[in-house]
Amino acid sequence: MKRTTLAALALAVTAGLGLTGCAGAAGPAEEQGQEGKTRLTVSVWNYEGTPEFKALFDSYEAANPAIDIEPVDILADDYPQKVTTMLAGGDTTDVLTMKNVIDYARYANNGQLQEINGVVDTVGKDSLAGLDAFNIDGKYFAAPYRQDFWLLYYNKELLKAAGVDNPANLTWDEYSALAKKLTTNADGKTTYGTYHHIWRSVVQAIAAAQNDGDQNGGDYGFFEDQYNTALDLQKSGATLDFGTAKSQKTSYRTMFETGQAAMMPMGTWYIAGFLQAKKDGKTNVDWGLAPLPQKSDDGKVTTFGSPTAFAVNKNAQHSDEAKKFIEWAAGEEGAKVISKIGVVPALQNDAVTDAYFQLEGLPSDELSKKAFTPDKTALEMPVSDKSGAVDKILNQEHDLIMVGERPVADGIAEMGKRVTGEVLGK
Amino acid sequence: MTNMAEDLKAEAPFLSGAPAPAPEDRRRTQRESPRERKKRTTDVVIYGVLAVLVVALMVPFFWMLSSSLKENNQVLTVPIQWIPSDFVWSNYTDIWTRIPMLGYLQNSLYLAVIITCLQVLTGSLAAYGFSKVRFPGRDVLFLAYIGTIAVPWQAYMVPQYIMMQNLGLTNSFNALILLQAFGAFGVFLMRQYYMTIPDELCEAARIDGLSEYGIWARVILPLSKPALASLALLTFVNTWNDYMGPFIYLTSNRLWTVQLGLRSFVGQFDAEYAMIMTGSVISVIPILVIFLIGQRYFIQGIATSGMKG
Amino acid sequence: MTTETLTPAPVPVSRGNRKQARRNTLIGWTFILPNFLGFLAFTLIPVIAAFALSFMEWTSFTAPRWVGLENFQRMLQSDTFWVALRNTVVYALGHVPLTMALALGLAMLLNRKLKGIGFFRVAIFFPYITSLVAVAVVWNMLFSPDNGPINQFLNAIGIAEAPGWTSSSDWAMPAVIITSVWRDMGYYMILYLAGLQAIPTELYEAAEVDGASGWQRFWNVTIPSLRPTTFFVVVMLTVSSFKVFDLIVVMTNGGPGRATTVLSQLIYQEGIGEGKFGYSSAISLVLFLIVLSITVLQFKLQQRRER
Repeated sequence: MKRTTLAALALAVTAGLGLTGCAGAAGPAEEQGQEGKTRLTVSVWNYEGTPEFKALFDSYEAANPAIDIEPVDILADDYPQKVTTMLAGGDTTDVLTMKNVIDYARYANNGQLQEINGVVDTVGKDSLAGLDAFNIDGKYFAAPYRQDFWLLYYNKELLKAAGVDNPANLTWDEYSALAKKLTTNADGKTTYGTYHHIWRSVVQAIAAAQNDGDQNGGDYGFFEDQYNTALDLQKSGATLDFGTAKSQKTSYRTMFETGQAAMMPMGTWYIAGFLQAKKDGKTNVDWGLAPLPQKSDDGKVTTFGSPTAFAVNKNAQHSDEAKKFIEWAAGEEGAKVISKIGVVPALQNDAVTDAYFQLEGLPSDELSKKAFTPDKTALEMPVSDKSGAVDKILNQEHDLIMVGERPVADGIAEMGKRVTGEVLGK
Repeated sequence: MTNMAEDLKAEAPFLSGAPAPAPEDRRRTQRESPRERKKRTTDVVIYGVLAVLVVALMVPFFWMLSSSLKENNQVLTVPIQWIPSDFVWSNYTDIWTRIPMLGYLQNSLYLAVIITCLQVLTGSLAAYGFSKVRFPGRDVLFLAYIGTIAVPWQAYMVPQYIMMQNLGLTNSFNALILLQAFGAFGVFLMRQYYMTIPDELCEAARIDGLSEYGIWARVILPLSKPALASLALLTFVNTWNDYMGPFIYLTSNRLWTVQLGLRSFVGQFDAEYAMIMTGSVISVIPILVIFLIGQRYFIQGIATSGMKG
Repeated sequence: MTTETLTPAPVPVSRGNRKQARRNTLIGWTFILPNFLGFLAFTLIPVIAAFALSFMEWTSFTAPRWVGLENFQRMLQSDTFWVALRNTVVYALGHVPLTMALALGLAMLLNRKLKGIGFFRVAIFFPYITSLVAVAVVWNMLFSPDNGPINQFLNAIGIAEAPGWTSSSDWAMPAVIITSVWRDMGYYMILYLAGLQAIPTELYEAAEVDGASGWQRFWNVTIPSLRPTTFFVVVMLTVSSFKVFDLIVVMTNGGPGRATTVLSQLIYQEGIGEGKFGYSSAISLVLFLIVLSITVLQFKLQQRRER
């Protein structure tokens, strides 16, 4: 008896759930292509948390009433994995956002993207920062609309307290000395002179950019100085120990926003995040921006960056509309729209830079402005079908050097050996 | 609960001469005082051991709870902060508006309930076939079942997706239900449990004229409550906590499950850990409810009293 | 292998004439069919497709190209494959016996009528439902080399050179194993609890009458009666150890260096990460064969004991 009742109950519950579940109680309803409008689908990551997408889409729809953009929202964490799976199944999403150049190289080399040389020419080859990265034998399969590059964030109060005005024109040696000077320990609470996040780029991409090194080359002698600097800072306690940062999943935002680190080399994407935190009253750090420290003191600033781009899917349903959208988004209109929310556009000209510095809350001193006009911005990682595999090896060896298990020279030798043997072939 | 098994026990003379008294009663009728004193001491020791264990097991959960009451940039601090400096209760109100949490919970519940029901039903049916009916090819087939458990999902994820795409099932709950409801896990678990149920019981039922389906429904099922409860619990928890399956198959935001919703707090370069922990705490509650309901079946014990195994 | 050697001896239903056998086959299949249809279509066929891919080169965008054993040759020459295989085996050797012993111990402890026992059962299941990120952060903190509680304790009992745990190549794997045992034992405890419930009380009572001590009852009643459950637990534990993925990704992400890189991570990275689906399928085929041979071995052992 009882069993039948239970079963009936379970069935009823299931049926009821079925109704609500299928009716889609959750979230915004699927946007339907309205009468006479073309529905353009664009793959994006973390739509809610990445305001640039919404800003771009809203403005574009306003300017083009015949287009209705539907974001295909994918979680940021595993974005490339999902896109790969979708494309394998013959997905017809029109515009694909390229999160980094490594994925771009893979999709483009596999013939999954359409050539869009026309779009790139219209926007202007010279004014798009980071465009070189997308050149594959004279063909462009994506156009960058956003270009993040690295600079030095600093906490004005902490520097002032140590009697330093600002960290202008630093060499790495001066930077180390400053970081050590800024490190204080009071009441059991340590304030670190700087914070180096655990990413290998903090050491390797900087070294490659400032030494003209090739990270896919198989010879990594040019990493050596940068590793020595990083390890020296760590040993002196001027930055959080790598092992701790890695195992505790330390957030670089926490380190800077709570005043635990006086300086921090980091990418420009953090500007928008910091502005938001400040606006919400979650931090009261008085911040400034400076160019990345350099190898020599000749006054030239070399940094590295990574572009983000839009591409057209080979199987796109609306190829022409997709190209038009990219032309707009990578061009001046799109650049202005994303500048307004603190995102650095790939298109760089005076009008755009001016618009950027109109942003409320951005430090307006000269040094901060100078940080925005580096003399050279190298690519974080070269574009090649080998980049993915090399990246993995460099990451693993980076770990071992930073936790102190391998002396720098051995680690660098091992990188070379493994990259040559496992990736570059035979 | 009256069931066939107990009827059998009472009727079939070879099972037991007279209904055996429950173990509790029997214990009470025997030499009382030294036993009870001994039992009380044992209980105290057990409580002590359990209390220590619980503390050790709950530490990360405590951290999760405490982090859910912090600001995002206060979560991952060095050294670890066990008690929030300010209690940010608003996390628990904000999360419902930051993401459509209620909808995500409904979606998760829908998937978990349907998949669990199907898995338990088809799993226990198939398990009966694998353990109580003898036919050629049975063991090879069973090994194929176990074999697929050994293949990591990452290996056949893409072929599976292409198949689903061709069937037009991607971006729907149906894809996930079809993928997860017929897993080999349930069949295997139930089969092993049925192996412990003495075949004499089935034999007796056959003599009584029950069909195989009748034996399954009226003898085996009532006897396997602890196993059914654990299969249901484990399937529910696995479905509820699954991330990769829903991630690959559910694209529209309105279909997202809780686990996907929580991951949407992870950005390209940073993550809102306080919100993630808030959501995690909320998402654990349904599991606790299911557990508390289900766990009483673990102490019921099966009615094989009088059996000589 | 032949079916006959594997078939245990369930109670023969009748004289076993041909008609009866055909009837049994029919009955057996009707029981299995509802599950089997779904299993065949959505698991077995994709798995077979994946195995076929291990002899091909396929990027998921172009048509697969037959390459014979090339993927396997590449795999055998790959240093990383051997590192990952070794790590996986080490993990399994640590994880399986420890989890099993603890799960059984806990199940015995919790298989009784006590006030509030439900609460304790839930509590022991808690690690399994605690967010993985929380687990990783807290355990990493406990393992912290300089000021973590674990090393402080080790120092206090006189071990001067306490290990570096997750920031050391030698100790990262033990740290991962400890965490995973802690996390999984509640899960397997549930299975053992169900198994313990199936043991007739009379067996214990009979043993008690014969004057068996608690220990003897454990060895002579509990362990043999739990054999089917133990088989299940061992197989599931072995399989899940060889497939371990999530915990490692969150806790060490395979590091430091390659110290905790395991096979399923490699499969994921090579396949969906880099689009080398043929190669990643080849690795999974090898993983499958390893686990399958262990399972068949256990299956045969179990059946021999049952006879």
